[in-house]
Amino acid sequence: MLVTEQERLREFVEAVVAHHGASRDQLIPILLAVQDEYGWISDFASQHIADQLAIHASEVYGVATFYHFINTRPKGRFVIRLSADMPSLMNGAEVIARQLERDLGIAFGETTADGLFTLEWTSCIGMNDQAPAMLINQAVFSALTPERVRQILDTCRQQLRAHRPICSETKETYVDGLSYAAYQAESALSKALQRTPQEVAAELEASGLRGLGGAGFPTGAKWRLVAEAEGETKYVVCNADEGEPGTFKDRVTLERYAALMCEGMTLAAYVTGAREGIIYLRWEYGYLRPQLEALLTARREAGLLGCGIMGKAGFDFDIRIQMGAGAYVCGEETALLESLEGFRGEPRNRIPYPVDFGLHGQPTVVNNVETFATTCLIVDRGAEWFTAMGTERSKGFKLLSVSGDCAKPGVYEVPWGTTVAGLLERVGGGGAKAVQVGGYAGHLVPAALFERKIAYEEFGTSGSIIVYGPQRDLLVVAENYLKFFVAESCGQCTPCRDGNAILLEGMQRLRQGRCTTDQLEQLIELGKSMQVASLCGLGQSSPKILLDIAAHFKDEVMARPIAA
Amino acid sequence: MSQSMPDTPDAIRSSAVPSRSAPSGPIGHSSAVPGDPATAAELVRLTIDGVELEVAKGTSILDAARQIGVRIPTLCHHEDLRSSGVCRVCVVAIDGMRTLQAACATPVNQPLTINTHTPEVRRARRHTIDLLLANHHGSCYTCRRNNNCELQSLAQEYGVDSFRFGHVESPRHPIDSSSSAIVHDPNKCVLCRRCVRTCSELQEIGCLTVVNRSDEARISTFAENELASAICINCGQCINRCPTGALGEQDQTDEIWAAIDNPEKFVVLQTAPSPRASIGECFGLPAGTSLTGQINTAARRMGFDAVFDTVQSADLTIMEEGTELILRLYNRLVKGDATIALPQFTSCSPGWVKYYEHFYPDMLENLSSAKSPQQMLGALLKTYYAEQAGLDPKDIVVVALMPCAAKKFECNRPEMCDSGYHDVDFGLTSRELAKMVAETGIDLPNLPPSDFDDPFGAGSSAGLIFGATGGVMEAALRTVIELVTSKQVEDFYDHAEITPVRGFEGARLIEIPIHEVGPVPALLQHLVPDWNWLQGTTLKVGVAHGIANAKRVVADIKAGGPFSECHFIEIMACPGGCLGGGGQPIPTTAAIRAQRTQALYAEATGYRLHKSHDNPVIQRLYTEFLTDGPCGHKAHKLLHTHYTRRGKWIL
Repeated sequence: MLVTEQERLREFVEAVVAHHGASRDQLIPILLAVQDEYGWISDFASQHIADQLAIHASEVYGVATFYHFINTRPKGRFVIRLSADMPSLMNGAEVIARQLERDLGIAFGETTADGLFTLEWTSCIGMNDQAPAMLINQAVFSALTPERVRQILDTCRQQLRAHRPICSETKETYVDGLSYAAYQAESALSKALQRTPQEVAAELEASGLRGLGGAGFPTGAKWRLVAEAEGETKYVVCNADEGEPGTFKDRVTLERYAALMCEGMTLAAYVTGAREGIIYLRWEYGYLRPQLEALLTARREAGLLGCGIMGKAGFDFDIRIQMGAGAYVCGEETALLESLEGFRGEPRNRIPYPVDFGLHGQPTVVNNVETFATTCLIVDRGAEWFTAMGTERSKGFKLLSVSGDCAKPGVYEVPWGTTVAGLLERVGGGGAKAVQVGGYAGHLVPAALFERKIAYEEFGTSGSIIVYGPQRDLLVVAENYLKFFVAESCGQCTPCRDGNAILLEGMQRLRQGRCTTDQLEQLIELGKSMQVASLCGLGQSSPKILLDIAAHFKDEVMARPIAA
Repeated sequence: MSQSMPDTPDAIRSSAVPSRSAPSGPIGHSSAVPGDPATAAELVRLTIDGVELEVAKGTSILDAARQIGVRIPTLCHHEDLRSSGVCRVCVVAIDGMRTLQAACATPVNQPLTINTHTPEVRRARRHTIDLLLANHHGSCYTCRRNNNCELQSLAQEYGVDSFRFGHVESPRHPIDSSSSAIVHDPNKCVLCRRCVRTCSELQEIGCLTVVNRSDEARISTFAENELASAICINCGQCINRCPTGALGEQDQTDEIWAAIDNPEKFVVLQTAPSPRASIGECFGLPAGTSLTGQINTAARRMGFDAVFDTVQSADLTIMEEGTELILRLYNRLVKGDATIALPQFTSCSPGWVKYYEHFYPDMLENLSSAKSPQQMLGALLKTYYAEQAGLDPKDIVVVALMPCAAKKFECNRPEMCDSGYHDVDFGLTSRELAKMVAETGIDLPNLPPSDFDDPFGAGSSAGLIFGATGGVMEAALRTVIELVTSKQVEDFYDHAEITPVRGFEGARLIEIPIHEVGPVPALLQHLVPDWNWLQGTTLKVGVAHGIANAKRVVADIKAGGPFSECHFIEIMACPGGCLGGGGQPIPTTAAIRAQRTQALYAEATGYRLHKSHDNPVIQRLYTEFLTDGPCGHKAHKLLHTHYTRRGKWIL
């Protein structure tokens, strides 16, 4: 590197740090900003960033190498990332992959000689209803066909020559029956401000709303605990890191109903006394950032964020967006907090909980996009309206992202307690062999159990529903899941880091017909240990696919002929 | 992963605050206020395996269990370090919780009922151990940590009789043996991250880090540089806390044996103070057993041609470094030379020196130019001693038995050749010597003790206590007080024990008012005419051990804090000083370091001489050999050095 280039980089880094603030929690935004300019984070850049933040270069490097989308080696001008989720593969992602390889003359993991294109697989990018789909840098291209691949590559070259950015090309997601659509903006917030924060929390508690990200912790109680917790500063964090393969309902909410999410965060601030809100937006949804920033600006101008919100003296709250950098595990709330603080996204031991010890050690509400949006409806229409829907332990409704072998993939609002069969009928998924309820970390429900309910009592879900038709090989499915978990494990705790690799190997043996009954038993035992001994939900739920297959499809998989 | 995180909604409230830094205990900073009775810990009742007990709120389940004698196995836990709960070996079952919790990382904040050995717990632990073994390369019998390996112990404890999930048959990662001090073998790594927490949190050096994620996660350095080109100070604290053989010193025992076996070579062993208080641990003795004379006997039986005491050159260091300090003070305070840097930092700790070169390259002049005792003795052995004994210095091989990994780097520094040869040929850790002794079958603990050889036999207790944090400062003060006041140190401190500088607080400040001065002793008369300029002043000194504390001291100086007023500051890179060095027997804990310290101070009380300047060997050196006195021309050539502006950038 020439001295002048080093100087230029140094100045750029200094400007970026000055813009973001020389604070450790800005490390990831700073890395992404430097990468936006240079395409990767050179050792020289890492050391400058470290120097500016007064941390060790090794820390910067440790963080940079943790996240998929931070490059510590140069890559092509266009990094093509083809989504490797199951619905994509079922819709021909492999064919697209071969087409990309032919057109570019490289294999996955490689960069073209002209430095223009890098080809990679990536975890689910939230476009399952229009799979297969891929990211090129931060633009999304969905419903891919081999013919389109060539056109898109040409467009990339043309846009580069014209110094124009490439733009996403996607379809509208089919949406069915969303209550959000009928919501009158700011009615919850104006009603809340007529009441005390305690009353608002009590309304939510009475509604029985549970966190809709999958963990299902009662939302009203969470807000109340943060309100009551001792702490100088409190935070409201929105988990917009929707990474569970097969889910895209938060994307749709962010595209069309982001105002509800912001309003819900503002309600949480009102209840807890937080003055700062942060939306942790997954990198894959980076193309939504400009419109979200515009929304925040509009809300500030309308007095819905900032000081004295809606004229209420002392009610001060603002929201900023911080980007993720490619890590499914950062959807786990404590990993998300680590990431927000500028560290590797490794989950914390969960005593204490974020309600007491969250962002920067302060009491913190962490809820996902859907949960925040739903609170608006409850505060507006009352807990009774909400509890009239659902079941004993699962009140209200849920958004489901439905994809796979069905006629009408899309986002559906269903009351909790809907049966799998009922849902299949609505989405045109008749004749399914199995349904994955709750994404890769959820339940593989065989046809025999389709009369069971989607509810915390039976099949709880974060909202990802993948329908598998009669011809699907569930071992291919399981192998895909485990490859995903192996790649997405943070690598911190032993059962998850090493256990998933063993389970994957076992799945491959099963596919080859080379897994003995004893070996299968051992894998099941290992899976059970991983479920209880892993540090976070990732390792605790990743063996579920193996256990479900062993429980419901054992005869089918053990009958597999021995591969040549 | 916003989705499907099955979890228990039974939130357990807590007020315990986890922190990213190492627990402040005996090696914390002295500014920590001791327990205020008003905030005395609230007690919480809990039940472990049916036994009820009460612990202070926030106590970990692991510590609570230990209080009632319930042993929970651990791997990633180390008492010097922040709990991380990542290995999952210590998982226990808590009533009401679906998943198992790591005992080391779970605080008791409310009444809990805990079971430490349910079938589920036992199965999970066994699985975790099986998984670790499935990714661990190496056979125990070829490993340096055979019989002292926590993974091996766990495997035995949990009855591992087969590699259930396979075993690594050939190494998957290259071994990094680029460093002259430390070898890193990632094939044996279990990713417990104790080394990272040691390097980045306990020592705050930040050389080691975790890179990548998932099953590709591994321990490395910035940009995956090899250790020789990384910002590693060779302190070896990572080695001391590694549970397996993934980190170790650069083993030079074969080379040393080759020298011993070569009839042409005259191989001498010089022994630092600390190994004598610790080597017994390698032979099953409790920490704090002094084996000075036994080491001498063993070394002779192994074939060393002579054994010398590094305590002698520690005494010499006091003379040189003390004189340097006096000169700095005189030139700055009396002659008004503002370019003279104060405070003066000690330079005996090669880990500290390299750290300082990396992180404070613009303040190098504050480091004392005096070499460490190891290097001083090496230089003398290949000049003065060679002359006296009629030996050709090229045939002398100096082996330095040190508690230290960084001494291996130090003796290889290119400038350490003032005798015309490498002043010291090999730094040998306590562990390596134990290994060499074991190879010979010599029963070291039961050997008859024997003395060191002349002329570098027993020195003063001042030189001996160099091994403990505060020891250099105490030794220096004994000499400075006597030289300046012409009175006995014993007039001020009983038995010449300057207790205010002792202890384990991370950083301490001591003020010594000088009320009266005497005549300048003959040795120093050519340097300063009188002591009047010191009369009525207060000598301010500081002591710090562990790099994290050293860093705070330098930051304080830069900020104009109390340490900036110091005249002289002792800094040791390792927690506890040399006794806790990176070449010492494994394991290390605060209690072990305290026992070693006690052994050294106990041995010191048996010494006849307590002050470096009273040491007749030193006096003779200055009359016979270093004839232009401390900090004189010859002393400068042989006993002083210069430093390198390393900086922290890797380009």
